[in-house]
Amino acid sequence: MSVSQVYTSDKRTMEKVKALLERVDITLDEHLDYTCAVFDEAGVPIATGSAFGATLRCFAVDPAHQGEGLLNEVITHLMENRMERGYFHLFVYTKPGSAKFFKDLGFSVIAEVPGLLTFLENRKNGFSGYLKKLEKKKLPGQAAAIVMNANPFTLGHRWLVELAAQENEVVHLFLLSEDAGPIPASVRHRLVREGVADLPNVVCHETEAYLISSATFPGYFLKSEEKILRTQARLDTALFVQIAAALDVTVRYVGSEPRSVVTGIYNEVLTEALPAHGIQCRVVPRRELPDGRIISASAVRQAIHDDALDSVADMLPETTLAFFRSAEAAPIIAALRTEQDVVHY
Amino acid sequence: MQILKPATAGTLESSDLMVTLEPGTDGIELSLTSSVMNQYGRQIKKTVLETLERLEVKDAKVTVVDKGALDCTIKARVECAVLRSCDKADKNIDWGGVIR
Repeated sequence: MSVSQVYTSDKRTMEKVKALLERVDITLDEHLDYTCAVFDEAGVPIATGSAFGATLRCFAVDPAHQGEGLLNEVITHLMENRMERGYFHLFVYTKPGSAKFFKDLGFSVIAEVPGLLTFLENRKNGFSGYLKKLEKKKLPGQAAAIVMNANPFTLGHRWLVELAAQENEVVHLFLLSEDAGPIPASVRHRLVREGVADLPNVVCHETEAYLISSATFPGYFLKSEEKILRTQARLDTALFVQIAAALDVTVRYVGSEPRSVVTGIYNEVLTEALPAHGIQCRVVPRRELPDGRIISASAVRQAIHDDALDSVADMLPETTLAFFRSAEAAPIIAALRTEQDVVHY
Repeated sequence: MQILKPATAGTLESSDLMVTLEPGTDGIELSLTSSVMNQYGRQIKKTVLETLERLEVKDAKVTVVDKGALDCTIKARVECAVLRSCDKADKNIDWGGVIR
């Protein structure tokens, strides 16, 4: 039996794949870029699996055909397909009960949301290697953590870091590694590093694939339902707890989120879940300017999009402002202008 | 041979194995998963390392997921992954020398 691709345009086959998934209580994700299936003689799908970016998900094998090694065929097919597209570090979402099948296929568990989801990667020492790398940068004293996208770095971010730096001996600042949107990760990171250079107790780290990445938290980048966002946020929290343990972090600072739905849900989940692991979660209110405008990176992107950088000059530190006024920023500004929607949902 | 880019060979089906090679800097870093680890783990590891040595691969990250493959299969899959990772698999392969 062979595995073949199912095209989204092939509605009839897609419906059959959905029906197969529903039999094992799985809903087909809205965001997928590849789906494949194995068919029986009558053309009915008996095993299926899908992929999105570096993640593999939505697996099902017809109960009547279990034990025939169909999952192995589906995974082989998906792995080859992903590697052709340049994804070598792969992740799997599955129900906790099915994790053992993936462990036999060379995947190792990174984190689990009890009863809902297990998250695995195809490396033995991927996440543990990342934690070891972090441990080398551990510093003595009361430590806080902040995770930010800083798209781009504003005075609001700066204020949050400053506050944490005053209240703690060490601040571990995690910067999202994902290249999403017109401002490349290298530029975002540079602006943060320049913007906090004068704070000696701030250490910058990259999140790699392990915090708010399209692998752990695809909903951060693509519109998704609230229930899905909550599960993903809980998974992300489970990863953060392990990262916090590696660095002896006891408090996490987050900015309050009046506008973005996804960050709002994420903050809510963090506030609920972190205290159980001995980590305090401090939600710091957004900083307002004297005229009542709230500092936000979305507002800055919008202003650049509308060619009105000067209107948000009071939201940006010198370093960020200087960058966007330099010739180097021209291609990024041009890319921002062509974006339809620059505000984070 | 020097590993230039990530490459993979093989499948996860029974009696086969999947070999993934990535460029490395710190000698051969082998990660092995096998359904017959307790019985044949050492033999599989030996075969993989010998094949890499024969092909003069010095630095590489090697991931092997074995599903009970025979030695000849292991050698063939490792060779194939090496040739793919140094862009030699699409040209005339120089059979005879180190490639058997």
